[in-house]
Amino acid sequence: MDSRKNLTVHGLSVEIRRGDRLVRPVADVTFELGRGETLGIVGETGSGKSMTGLAVMGMLPAGGRVTGGSIELGGRDLLTADPRRYRGREIAMVFQDSLTSLNPTKRIVDQVAEPVRLHRGASRRAARDRAREMLARVGVRRDGYPHQLSGGQRQRVMIAMALVCEPEVVIADEPTTALDVTVQAEILDLLDELRAQRGLSMILITHDMGVIAQRADRVAVMYAGRLAESAPTAEIFERTRHRYTRALLSSIPTLAQDRGEELFSIPGSPPDLARPEPGCPFAPRCDAASDRCRAELPPFTGTFACWHPVDGPVASADRGRFQRGETGETLLRVVDLVREHPTGRRTVKAVSGISFEVAAGETFGLVGESGCGKSSLGRLLVGLDRPDRGEIVFAGERVTRPRRAVQMMFQDSGAALDPRMRIGRILREPLAIHDVGDRRERVRRLLDDVGLPESVLDRYPYELSGGQRQRVGLARALALDPRVLVADEPVSALDVSIRSQVLNLMRRVQAERGLSAVVISHDLAVVRYLADRVGVMYLGKLVETGTTEEVFGAPAHPYTAGLLAAVPEGGRTGTPVRGEPPSPVDPPSGCRFRTRCALATDKCAQVEPPMTSLTGGHQVACHYPLQEGRDG
Amino acid sequence: MRRHPLALAGGLLLLVIVGFCVLGPLLHPTNQTDVDVVNAALPPGGGHPLGTDTNGFDVLGRLMAGGRVSLQISLLAAVVATTIGTLYGAVAGLAGGVVDGVMMRLVDVMLSIPFLFFVLILSARFHADAVSLSLVIGGFSWLLSARLVRGEVLTLRVREYVLAAKVMGASRRRVVLTHLIPNALGVIIVNATFQVADAIIVVSALGFLGFGLTYPAADWGSQLASGVTYISADYWWLVLPVGACIVLTVLALNLLADALRDTIGRPTSARS
Amino acid sequence: MARYVLNRLVVSALVLLGISAVVFFMLHLVSDSPGRIVLGQRVSPEAVAAFDHQHGFDRPVVVQYLDYLERLLHGDLGRSYKLNENVSTLIAQNAGRSAMLSLAGLVVALAVAVPLGILQAVRRNGLIDRTATAVSYMLYATPSFLLGLALIAVFSQQLELFPAEASQSHSPWAVLTDPRAMALPVITLAAGSVAVFAQYQRSSALDQLGQDYIRVARAKGLPERLVLTRHLLRNACMPLITLVGTLVPTLLAGNVIVESLFNYPGLGLLFLNSLQREDYPLLLAYTLMGGLLTVVGNLLADVLVAAADRRIEVRR
Repeated sequence: MDSRKNLTVHGLSVEIRRGDRLVRPVADVTFELGRGETLGIVGETGSGKSMTGLAVMGMLPAGGRVTGGSIELGGRDLLTADPRRYRGREIAMVFQDSLTSLNPTKRIVDQVAEPVRLHRGASRRAARDRAREMLARVGVRRDGYPHQLSGGQRQRVMIAMALVCEPEVVIADEPTTALDVTVQAEILDLLDELRAQRGLSMILITHDMGVIAQRADRVAVMYAGRLAESAPTAEIFERTRHRYTRALLSSIPTLAQDRGEELFSIPGSPPDLARPEPGCPFAPRCDAASDRCRAELPPFTGTFACWHPVDGPVASADRGRFQRGETGETLLRVVDLVREHPTGRRTVKAVSGISFEVAAGETFGLVGESGCGKSSLGRLLVGLDRPDRGEIVFAGERVTRPRRAVQMMFQDSGAALDPRMRIGRILREPLAIHDVGDRRERVRRLLDDVGLPESVLDRYPYELSGGQRQRVGLARALALDPRVLVADEPVSALDVSIRSQVLNLMRRVQAERGLSAVVISHDLAVVRYLADRVGVMYLGKLVETGTTEEVFGAPAHPYTAGLLAAVPEGGRTGTPVRGEPPSPVDPPSGCRFRTRCALATDKCAQVEPPMTSLTGGHQVACHYPLQEGRDG
Repeated sequence: MRRHPLALAGGLLLLVIVGFCVLGPLLHPTNQTDVDVVNAALPPGGGHPLGTDTNGFDVLGRLMAGGRVSLQISLLAAVVATTIGTLYGAVAGLAGGVVDGVMMRLVDVMLSIPFLFFVLILSARFHADAVSLSLVIGGFSWLLSARLVRGEVLTLRVREYVLAAKVMGASRRRVVLTHLIPNALGVIIVNATFQVADAIIVVSALGFLGFGLTYPAADWGSQLASGVTYISADYWWLVLPVGACIVLTVLALNLLADALRDTIGRPTSARS
Repeated sequence: MARYVLNRLVVSALVLLGISAVVFFMLHLVSDSPGRIVLGQRVSPEAVAAFDHQHGFDRPVVVQYLDYLERLLHGDLGRSYKLNENVSTLIAQNAGRSAMLSLAGLVVALAVAVPLGILQAVRRNGLIDRTATAVSYMLYATPSFLLGLALIAVFSQQLELFPAEASQSHSPWAVLTDPRAMALPVITLAAGSVAVFAQYQRSSALDQLGQDYIRVARAKGLPERLVLTRHLLRNACMPLITLVGTLVPTLLAGNVIVESLFNYPGLGLLFLNSLQREDYPLLLAYTLMGGLLTVVGNLLADVLVAAADRRIEVRR
C-alpha cells in the first residue's frame, strides 16, 4: 500500500432497494485519492457520482447497501468500521447549498461547534471559540440564524462545519451548483486555499466540466453508475479516450467556441438503472457503437472503459453550421421600464429603468445574477405583469396584456405543463384559446418541428423526460406562430447532454421561422450561444449592451468583465467580481455596482452613470469604461 | 388505486356498508314502525339475529334504517360545507387583496368559536330533524374547507402552467375552468370525504349528550345513545353492533380519503 | 420579536371582539325572551314584558351587546337565570377542575404522541409504524364516549381496576390525590388526541427527515439518537404546536363529553345542565370563554413557534 494514497476505492458497487424496485446506482467504481490531491468526479444526474460520495461517508439512503468492493482510508477498511468513528472527523462532506442545508432553529455558531464537542470532547465554551475562529477563517463574521445569511454565506458555514475538526479528506458534492457564478468562484477559491493550507485531500463532485478543469488534479467521469474514464485533468481534456467524455465535452457551450457552429449533441437520454442492459451503458447513444458494445461490457482499463476509444475532441468538420439569420426592422421596443414589487413594508426594486430594442429575427440575450430582475423583466415582456412606469412597444403597439405574437418558454417544463392534461391537450390548448382550426394536424407538425414522436400525445407530463418536456414547452410556445419568443432560463433545469439538444433545437427553429427571441439566463455561455445581441443586467438596470461579439469579446463595464472572469473555464484571466450583490430593496446610490467595483470613486456614489455609446451599438453605463469609445 | 390497498379496503368497506343499509331491508324485512313491548330487549336469536331493542324493534333492521339516516345527514352536511367552503375560499383566493383579508379574518373569528357548543345550543332549543341537523353541521364546518380551498387557489394561480395559459391569452374563465378547478378538485373531494366522517361522529356525540335526533328518528347516534343507557343491564347487543357500524363507517371514509389524498393529490408521485 | 408579539396581540384582541359579537347575536337570535325563561311558561305575557323591561332586555340588541361588553370588561358575566348565583362565581367554582382534566389529557396525549410520531417516522413502514397507524385510525373513528364506555366496561366493570366515576372532590387539588379515579377520564380524553397528534407528528417528522440539514448532521458524525434529539425534535414539533393551538375548540368539546360520561363536575357538565335549563347567561359565558381560550391558545402557539423559529418574524 502506497502510504501517499490517502483514500482508495476499489470495485465499489452499491444497490438500493425500494419496495420491489432494485437500482444499482454505483457499479465497479475504482479510484485513488492522494494526499493533498483533488479528484473531480463528474457526471450527469443519475450517474452515481453523489452516491459514490455517500458510500464513502457510510451514508447511503434507506434501502441502500454496498454490495462489493472496498473503501480504505490510509490502509484502514472503512466498510467494516463504524462510520461514526471517521464521519466528520477524518472524512467530512460539504453538500450543495439549499435553504435547508442548515438547521433553521439553531444558531450558526452552535452548528459549527457541534462536531468539535462531539469529536474532541471540547467544552461548550471551547467549542464555540473554535467555531468562531473557523467561521472567521471562511469569512463569516456574523452570528445568528441561517435565514439571515445569503446562499454564499451559508455555503461558507457549511465549509466551516466540515473543516472544523481538521479532517483528512473532504468530499464536496456540487458545492457551488446553486450559487451565482461570482459567488461560485469565491467558494471554490476558499476551498482550494484551505485545502492547500491544511494538506487536505478533496473529492469534488460536480456536473460542471468547467469547475473540474480549473480545480481538479485528476478526473473521474461517471456514466450510468460506472466509471467511463479516469485520468489526470489535462489528459482528459487533451487526450479524451471515452466516447461519452468526448461527446459530453463537445456538447457544452463555452465562451471560446465558434458561435456559428452547431453544438455536438448526444441523442437520447441516460439509461434506466433499474433495468440494466448488457453491454456498454452508453452504447444506445453512441455514434460508434458496434454489436460488441451492445453485447459486452467494456472492462475498465485503468483509464477508460470503451471498446472503441478515441483521441481528442470532435473535429469541427463533423458539426453542422447555422446560417446567419437576417435581421429586419425593430419589432420590440422597451422604453424606460420600471417595476417595483411591494413586500410588506419594503419595496423590491426589481426593474429600474431599462430600455432596449429587439429587431425582427434577432435574439437578444439578457444575463445577470439571481435577483437582478431579469425574470421580472421577462414577465413584463409577455404581459403577465404591468410596469409601474415606461412602456413595451410591439410592432408599434403598447403591450399591456398577453398577446398572441409574444409567447414564452418557461424554465421548468415540469411546472409549466398542467399535470392533469395529456401532452396532446396541452399542445392544443393555445390553438383552442384562439380558436384556430385544424388543431390535430397543426399539433402533429409542431411535434415534428421539435423532434418528438407522435406517441407522446397520449402521455402525461410526468411520463416524459426533462428534455422531452422542454421540447413540449417550446412546441407549445410556437403553436401560435409568435413573432417573439421570450425564454426564461430555457435549459437551466436540464442535464448537460440534454441541454445541447434543446439549444440546437431552439436555434434551428428560430432560424427557420425568422423568430425574434429574448433569452434570459444566468449562464453566460448559453446566452453567448443563442444571442445576437446581449444586455447585461445588474440590480434592475442594464449596465452594458452590444452585439454578442462586442460584449463578450471586449467587455466595457467592470461588472461584465468580472462576470466573465468568474466563469470557470480553463485559461481565462482577469479578476472575478467579489462579494455578493446588495439587496434590491435598498440599492446603492449612484452606480449600483460601485460597492463591488475595484474602480469605484466618489463620483460613482454620487452620479449615476448614463448609458453612453462606445462603438456602433455597444453601450455602457459606467464612468470609467474598460473600452475607449471611438467617437468620445 | 391499484397502488393503494388501503384505498381499496376503505372503498370496499364503504360499499358494503351502503349496500347493507340500502339493500339490506330487502333481504331482512322488519317492522320498524310499531312498538312491540312484548318482544322488547330480546337477546339475539330466533327471528332477530341481533335481538330487539327496548321498544321491541329488530336491532339488525334498525341498524339498516338508522344507517340510511346517518349517511344522509352526514352526506348532506358534507355537501353543504363543501359547497359553501369551496365558493367562499375560491372567491377569497381569486379576489385577493382587501377582500381576501376581510373574508379570511371572518373565518378566523368563526373558527375560534367552539362549534359543538353552538350546535348543542341550537339542538337543545329546536328539536332537530335530520335535514336541519345536517344544515347546522354543514353550516358550521365549511370554515376549514374555505381555508383549504383558498390556500389551494393561491398556490395554483401562480403555478407556471397557469401563467403559461395566461401568456397564451386564456381568459380568466378559461383559467379557472380548465386549470384551477381540475387541479383543486382532488383536495376538495378529499376534504369532503373527511367531512362526511366527521359529521357521523358529531351526530353520534349529539345523540350521546341527549341533543340528537329524537324518537322516532333512528339514526345510529341516537340508537347508540339509547343503548348506552342500558349498558349496565348487560344489553350488549344494543351497543356493540351500532358502535361497530359507526366505527367501521368512519374508518372506511378516513381510509378512502387518505388514500385519495395520496393518489390524486400528486399525479407526479406515480413515478418516484 | 416584541413587535411580532404586539402585532399578534392586537389581532387577537380584534378576533375576540368579533367572537363576542358573533356569539352574542347568534344566541340572542335563538333564545326565548329572558323573562319567559326566568318566570316560566305559566306567567302572563304582560308579566314577561314587564320583567324584560325592568331588566333592559327590551332594548335594541346592539345596545344590549354594548352594555354586555361594558360589564364584561368589568369582569361581570351577568347572573344565572336559574341558579341564584353570578355566572363568574359559577365558572370560577368549576374552572379549576376542568382545567385540571384538560391539561392532564393534553399532557398525556403529547407525551405519547410526540415520541410515537417521531418513532413512526424514523421506522417508516416498519411494524411499529403500521401498528400505530392502524390503532390511530381506529381511535380516530371511535366516538370518544364509546371509547370511554368501552374503558369503563373493561377496566371498571370487568377488571375493577378503576372506578367508573371521576373524582367528585370540589377542590381541583384533591383531584391530584385521587389518581385512580382520574385515570379513565384522562385516558379517554387523551386517546382521541393521540390519534390525531401522532399522525400529524409523524408526517411532520418525515418532512423534516427529508431536509438537507438532517443529512448534514449525519455527515458531522452525530449518532442517530443525537440527530433526532438535537436537530429533528424541535423542528418537527413546530407544526404540532400550531395544531394544538387551533384545536382548542375540539379539546373543549372533548371535555364536555368526558365530564358528562364520568359525571365529573366541571365546566362541561355545568354547560350541559345549563342547556337543559335554558340558562343563557351561562351558555353565553362558557361559549365566549371557549373562544377566548382558542384565541389565547393560537396566540401562545404562534409566539412559541416564533420564539423557536426566528424565520417567522421575517416572513410575516
